[in-house]
This record gives sequence, C-alpha cells and structure tokens, in this order.
Amino acid sequence: MTVYETDVPGVGRKFEVDVGDGARIVVVIHHSGRRELFFRPKEGADSERVATLTGEEARQVGAVLEGAYFQPLELDSQAVPLGDAIIEWVEVDADSPLAGQTLGEAEVRRRCGVSILAIQRGEDTIENPTSDAEIRADDVLVALGTRQEQQAFRELHAGTDPSDG
Amino acid sequence: MADPLLLQAAIVVAALAVAGTLAERFGQSVIPAYILVGLVVGPNAPRLRGLSLALVEGGEFIDLLAELGIVLLLFFLGLEFRIDQLVAARDRVAAAGAVDAVVNLGVGVVLGLAFGFTPLETAFLAGIVYISSSAVITKSLIDLGWIADPESEAILGVLVFEDLLIAVYLALLAAVALGGGGIQGAALDIAWAVGFLGALFLIARYGGRAVERFFETGSDELFLLRVLGATTLVASAALVSGVSEAVAAFFVGTALGGTSHLDRVERVLVPARDLFAAVFFFAIGLETDLAAIGSVAGMLPVAVVVTTASKFASGYAGGRVYGLSSRRSARVGAGLVPRGEFSLVLAALAASVGTGALATVIPAFAVGYVLVMSVLGTILMRQGEWLWNLGGIFRRRRTTSGVDRTD
Repeated sequence: MTVYETDVPGVGRKFEVDVGDGARIVVVIHHSGRRELFFRPKEGADSERVATLTGEEARQVGAVLEGAYFQPLELDSQAVPLGDAIIEWVEVDADSPLAGQTLGEAEVRRRCGVSILAIQRGEDTIENPTSDAEIRADDVLVALGTRQEQQAFRELHAGTDPSDG
Repeated sequence: MADPLLLQAAIVVAALAVAGTLAERFGQSVIPAYILVGLVVGPNAPRLRGLSLALVEGGEFIDLLAELGIVLLLFFLGLEFRIDQLVAARDRVAAAGAVDAVVNLGVGVVLGLAFGFTPLETAFLAGIVYISSSAVITKSLIDLGWIADPESEAILGVLVFEDLLIAVYLALLAAVALGGGGIQGAALDIAWAVGFLGALFLIARYGGRAVERFFETGSDELFLLRVLGATTLVASAALVSGVSEAVAAFFVGTALGGTSHLDRVERVLVPARDLFAAVFFFAIGLETDLAAIGSVAGMLPVAVVVTTASKFASGYAGGRVYGLSSRRSARVGAGLVPRGEFSLVLAALAASVGTGALATVIPAFAVGYVLVMSVLGTILMRQGEWLWNLGGIFRRRRTTSGVDRTD
C-alpha cells in the first residue's frame, strides 16, 4: 500500500492513501490542526469532502479505525462472531484474582480455553501478549473463545472458577 | 478630527469585522471587502446627499499597522516558500512558471506601453497584473475542495515560482525607484540590494542550525516576540539602507521555513499577520480616491479582459505541463486569475517612492484592478464548471467523433 505525502504551501500537508480499485482517501492536515478528509472514488474523479475534523476528533476516529479505541463500559453486550468462537472484552476489576498475575501464572488458556489476543491498558495496546505479560487492574483483556470458554473465563476473572478449588 | 486614537482604532477594526463577515456570507474573498470598507469610511468617502461616512482620518498609526501588514505578508510568503520543494519538481514548476511569467509579464509590458506609461511605470504595471493572489487562491482551493485534487499541485507550483520571481522583482523595483538617480546610481543601488539580500539568503540557506537555536523557546509568547522582533528589525534595517523591507522580510521567512519551527510560526503568527494585513488592505482603501480610480476607468476594462484571458491561457498550459486533463487544466487557468495582496504591495511601493503618475495613476489602477480581479477570479473558480460545460457543447459540435473527453 502506498501513501503519498505532499507539502501544501500555506495550508499544511496532504496525504493520499490507495484503497483499491483506483479509489483514494485524501487527508489534508492544516497547520491549524484541522483535518479534512476526502474520498476520490476513482482516478481522475473529483474528490468529495467527507468530513472536517479537529485534531482531537481526528485522533478519536483514527483510533477507532485502528481498532484500538472503544468504550469499555458498553462492551458487555459486544461480541464478534468468528465461527464458533467469539471475541469478548473483559475489564479487569481491582479485586479480580487475575489482577497482578502474569498470563502464564493465571493459566488462562489451560483453565478455560480462551486465548488472550490483546491487553488494552489506557491508551496502549499490547498485541499478542506473551505468557509473562502482567495483568493489571483496569486492563481490558481481549479474549477469543467459544461461548462456553468465555463463560469459564468470566468465572475465572470473577474468582468463582470451580477448578480453582 | 479630535477623536482619541482608541476610537479611531475601534472604528477600523469594527469596520473590518463587518466587511469580513459580509464577504464570508457571500462566499467572497475578504480582501476586496477590506479595501471597499476602507474606501467607504475614509477621508475620500463618497458623499450621499451631503452625508458622509468619513469616520477615519488615516494617519501614522494606520500607516504603521499597514506597514507591518506588508512585512508579515512577505514574511509568510517566504516562510511557505521552500527551495527544496522548487528543486524537487523543478522541471514542471519551471516550465509552468516560466510560461506564466513570460505570458503575463509580457502582456503587462504591452499594456503599459499601450497606455503610454514610462518604462518604470510599465514595470510596476507588469508586476501588478502578473502576480496572482496566494491568499485568495488558497482560500478558494480549500473552500472548493480542489486542495485534494491534482490541479492544486499545478496551481501551487506556479504560485511558488511567482513568489520567488516577485521577491526578486520587488527588490529590483525598490532599488531603482528608491535610488532614482540615473543608470549608474541605479546599478549601484541594485548592487547594494543584491549584496544585502544575498547575505540574508546565505543565512537562510546555510544558517539553519543557528536560526533553529535562536528561536528555541518553550513559551509561545516569547516565540512570538522573537519572530516579530527579528523580522521587523531586519526589515527596518533594510529600509534604512534603501533596500525593500518586504523582500528582507521574505528572506527572514525563508530562513524560518527551513527549520522545525515552521508549524509553530504558522500557529502563533497567523493571527498577527491576519490583523495587520487586514489593516493594510483597509489603508489601501483609505488612501484611494474614487476620482483617481475614475481616471483609470478607460484602462481597467481593457486590462481586466486581456489579463484574465492571458492568465487563463498560461494557467491552462501550465496544467498541461503537469499532465492534467483539459478540464483540470482549465481549473488551473481559472484558479490563477485572482490578483490581490502582492499587486497591492507593488502599488504601495509605487505610491511611497514614486512621483507623478507612478504615485497616483499606478496605485489607483492597482486598487481598481485588484477589486475586480479578486472578485472575478473567485467567481470564475466557483462558477467555472458550468462555463466549461457550456464550452463543452461547442467543443462537441466541432469534434467528429462526438466523444467529449473532458476527463
């Protein structure tokens, strides 16, 4: 994928991103911080202005597009179908037994079968965390597994896991 | 008028605010609105049944702010001018820019001679009709969304070329006009100007690190003061030694444009530039006598028609150089038609140093010309599309294939 960057004198910078079939997304970043988003459906066509964003709005939208940003509070109801498996987001409570353990110590996969795809910590995302990644309170764990495995994981998180003895 | 200065300043700024709002409402550039409001409330205001709005007398404080406006306009021109950008696209920029310069300066010279001007007056006239308005054009590019399309690269490329040429042109004209003493005197003045500006250019080109360090500060306030202080100091030093202060400011801008301070300058100094530039346009209106514009009423229509056509044609050719389709090339042509602030900077120079027709006829012509061209150019950019489609009907009739490849 190619990103074209041009200086626009007196305005700022322009970025063009190829998005297939000759279509392009054009972003103009003004010196003032304002971002203008354009879409050009095919080569030679006129660009259509899609949105004008402030710097703050642009960062929000960018994070959403990146897949990094979401509202954890609303996530209880969110699930993404993936064959039998679904992805769920679980926010780690301070009193959860998981808080303070590494993924390896918590033995998440062995005990309930889900894989942790990522750990969200504030603005940061730890992708494909290794077994020595630490789980902290207020982290959001992105877990992949079947409904039953997700159920088991929620119990493990809440400290009501029967296999815990 | 015994009004306190504060009241005068209040009237100026309030009048500008009203004019700017109206211009915005009608989708027009603010520049002609600022000039017109200056005309209306100035000492030369037209009287309607004995009633006059002449509220502002002019005077030193307006002259000072207007002068700062010129300095900052040229400072920003330099700031946004990047030599490496010119070098990176030199083939296309040079070709499109050269066509633009040869055609439009050439047309200006022919017009000047046809109007019976002296060589110096003709040189000023040629510059005035040659230089397009970055302010008006950039605003329209953003408003219309052309900024995202390839024609904006061609338009801005030609503007970059014009910026460099006008800086040199202004320096030469100022040296000749300020000196004004025979060929030998003029040569000396030009040599001195070249030396002074050459030194500034060398600092801009090779003193990047020192400049970078000099303006390094955590506080926006100190940054603003340092940049304004350095710019006005260099500009005034230039003026005192008989070199164009505007061109000196251009090179200060270039020096800063090459550093990492660029974005910060844009953020912190744009408000200052906008305020002072608005007063500059206002002052232009203030100093203009409607009767003087009346005296050039015969020249204006000729110049408007001829230079609109020449700018459109050279812009169209420039678009072709950039490999654009005929429809987009036509946009480049229309996009370069607006004239504005730099024509007025030339006019202000003519008014301040010239005598005779140079001090009266040329500025009056420039004001009338810019009033028409800034509005006409904006309209052409906005409404050009249906004109182009109308033209397309005729083009189709002439082509046997019946296929109109406009894109």
